[in-house]
Amino acid sequence: MATVVTMPKLGTTMMSGVILKWLKKEGERVEKGEPLLEIQTDKVNMEEEAYESGVLLKILAPEGTEVPVNQPIAVIGVEGEDISSLLREISGEVPQAAKSATVEALSAEKEELVAVSAPAPGEGKPRATPAARRLAREYGVDLAAIKGSGPRGRVHKADVEEHLKRAVPKPAEAPAAAAKPTPQAPGKAIPLSGIRGVIAKKMRESVNTAPHYFVFMEIDMSEALKVRERINVKLPEEEKLSINTLLAKAAAVAISEFPIFNSYVDGSNIVLKEEINIGIAVAIEEGIIVPVIRNVDRKGLRGVAREERELIAKARTKALKPEDYEGGSFTISNLGMFGVPRFTAIINQPEVAILAVGKVADKVVIENEEMVVRPIMEVSLSSDHRVIDGATAARFLNRLKEIMEDPMQMAL
Amino acid sequence: MTEKMYIDALAEAIREEFDRDERVFMIGEDIGVYGGSFGVTKGMYEKYKDKLVDTPISEASIVGVGVGCALVGLRPIVEIMFSDFMMDAMEFIVNQAAKLSYMTGGQLCVPMVIRSPMGSGAGMAAQHSQSLPAIFAHIPGLKVVMPATPYDVKGLLKTAVRDDNPVIFLEHKLLYWTKGEVPEGEYLVPLGKADVKRQGGDITLVAGSIMVPRSLEAADALAKDGIECEVVDVRSLSPLDVDTIVSSVKKTGRLAIVEDDNENFGWGAEVAAKITNSEAFDFLDEPILRVAGNNIPIPYSPELEKAAVPQVEDVISAVKGVFSRRG
Repeated sequence: MATVVTMPKLGTTMMSGVILKWLKKEGERVEKGEPLLEIQTDKVNMEEEAYESGVLLKILAPEGTEVPVNQPIAVIGVEGEDISSLLREISGEVPQAAKSATVEALSAEKEELVAVSAPAPGEGKPRATPAARRLAREYGVDLAAIKGSGPRGRVHKADVEEHLKRAVPKPAEAPAAAAKPTPQAPGKAIPLSGIRGVIAKKMRESVNTAPHYFVFMEIDMSEALKVRERINVKLPEEEKLSINTLLAKAAAVAISEFPIFNSYVDGSNIVLKEEINIGIAVAIEEGIIVPVIRNVDRKGLRGVAREERELIAKARTKALKPEDYEGGSFTISNLGMFGVPRFTAIINQPEVAILAVGKVADKVVIENEEMVVRPIMEVSLSSDHRVIDGATAARFLNRLKEIMEDPMQMAL
Repeated sequence: MTEKMYIDALAEAIREEFDRDERVFMIGEDIGVYGGSFGVTKGMYEKYKDKLVDTPISEASIVGVGVGCALVGLRPIVEIMFSDFMMDAMEFIVNQAAKLSYMTGGQLCVPMVIRSPMGSGAGMAAQHSQSLPAIFAHIPGLKVVMPATPYDVKGLLKTAVRDDNPVIFLEHKLLYWTKGEVPEGEYLVPLGKADVKRQGGDITLVAGSIMVPRSLEAADALAKDGIECEVVDVRSLSPLDVDTIVSSVKKTGRLAIVEDDNENFGWGAEVAAKITNSEAFDFLDEPILRVAGNNIPIPYSPELEKAAVPQVEDVISAVKGVFSRRG
């Protein structure tokens, strides 16, 4: 069984080493403990000895190349052994000169030589730290494809990051997002982390996995505004209804009749959820967050309004707990207060649809062959076409419109 | 703020609680005229003659009296000369103090603090040098506190005295004469809230009591090698502030637990288990490291005594090991 020799890590901060000289030629016999090559780190030149006896079958990194630690540099095995498949296996990781590798100063003390083990045989599950697994999961990377730098080939987070950095997509299938960044003029960097990082990741995932399409609708708000005014005079400040309250309630009623809007895709299944929980997108300083009003179908309007106000206040003071924003069925995003007439929104996964709401504006409409002025609100429904077809979306929107235009039906 | 010694901050807390609440008093061996074996109540006798109750040498009786006084409405601070001797009072601590509120459905409570020095390093051999916080933290109904700084010892003792539950308050002997900033006047430190004593992004060191200053010293040395440690002082083991540790580990991805007591079945194992079962699990990029004492009685020989319990150098080399074991 042939063994891969890798660039040893000769100090805590050693990132790479330069191959100064091979002391054996390809085909030459080498004994365990015998000097095999000379390596230069940024501090010292060192002789590295062989950890296996055998024949030096292949030198992968010629003299003068700089190789990151733990990258294969040679193969030792039995004379005449067929190593073609092994070479293919590691061909993805044959060292390229790591010109840009940052080599930090070695600590002053001479570190004990660290034994470099060959990668674990390709059977069984890959060894990886939880952090590495999480990262691999997030980016859909196969851990087995990554060579770990830890003991017994354990994959660490840094290995996955390195892999992601090096993974150059094949031109034919390169998604635009993964294309090589074009050089940018220098500027101030804002880290894509925290809430911003979560938004970036979730939105990209949503667009990548859910085929979005948009259906538009105009809603006559005459009745809704009247009802709202009539109810609000009777309610204390903290329970006053907003347009979103009415929309949330109307959406909950519509969803109870169109349960497919309360579902998510789990592998090869569409799973219908039970609770009808409506999310309201709230703009906060750092970005956006969607607190969720629970069981809207089972609550009265003032209950929904109170919860809505509490959640928005919590969102603004960063006091939301996971249970306040998890488990949503459907999201309402309203930019009406910014005077936006209409827009489209990206689905808040794992939900399957989102309603984008514009401002209420007086418009001239034709009724019984006469021009009348009505307060009209435009909405657009983004749906995940894997789950919901256009006609279903249209029926759902019509039903939503019907309820909003005849708010009595919210009592259904 | 003025710098004060740990022992003086502690004495200040006791005096302030004596003055604040007439129900507060202290009971223990040689705490009156003599001023306590470590001198915590030194100079108090003149003013607080009625509040310092000297007892015969019987820890079981001292704690038993403490429990009784607490049950009838007083708020005793019990001093046990060495925490090793608390083993003699386990019946009253474990079967009485910790249980009575529960068994009476809250009709009774035991607002008692047992303060006691712990730990090695003073050449006092195996029966006077143990650190046993984990034994008490295992018992439901007991709160366990082990302050590391003069600031914390004052604020935590005052909170402990006002708590309606029995609190085991462990003071490491070597901390008594350490100095730190203590503000003038009244302040409290909550029980069950850890304190991040140093920020860092590379590894979280969770420590308590004497291991906090040792970890901080190690962190300074490690920073010179480019390793930035975040030092979390648990301050109390029960309640344990898991949230603070979780958020630190999510930030650093690495965790070392630094304990003064011996490793087997120690509190570090509990912290490690809680972290692997928390949302921080998915952020761990190294196995959880424990830096703890050897599983032996504390030796009398000074050199062996040092070797039995983690010193600053042990913390440094253990942490370095995490960063060099790759490959």
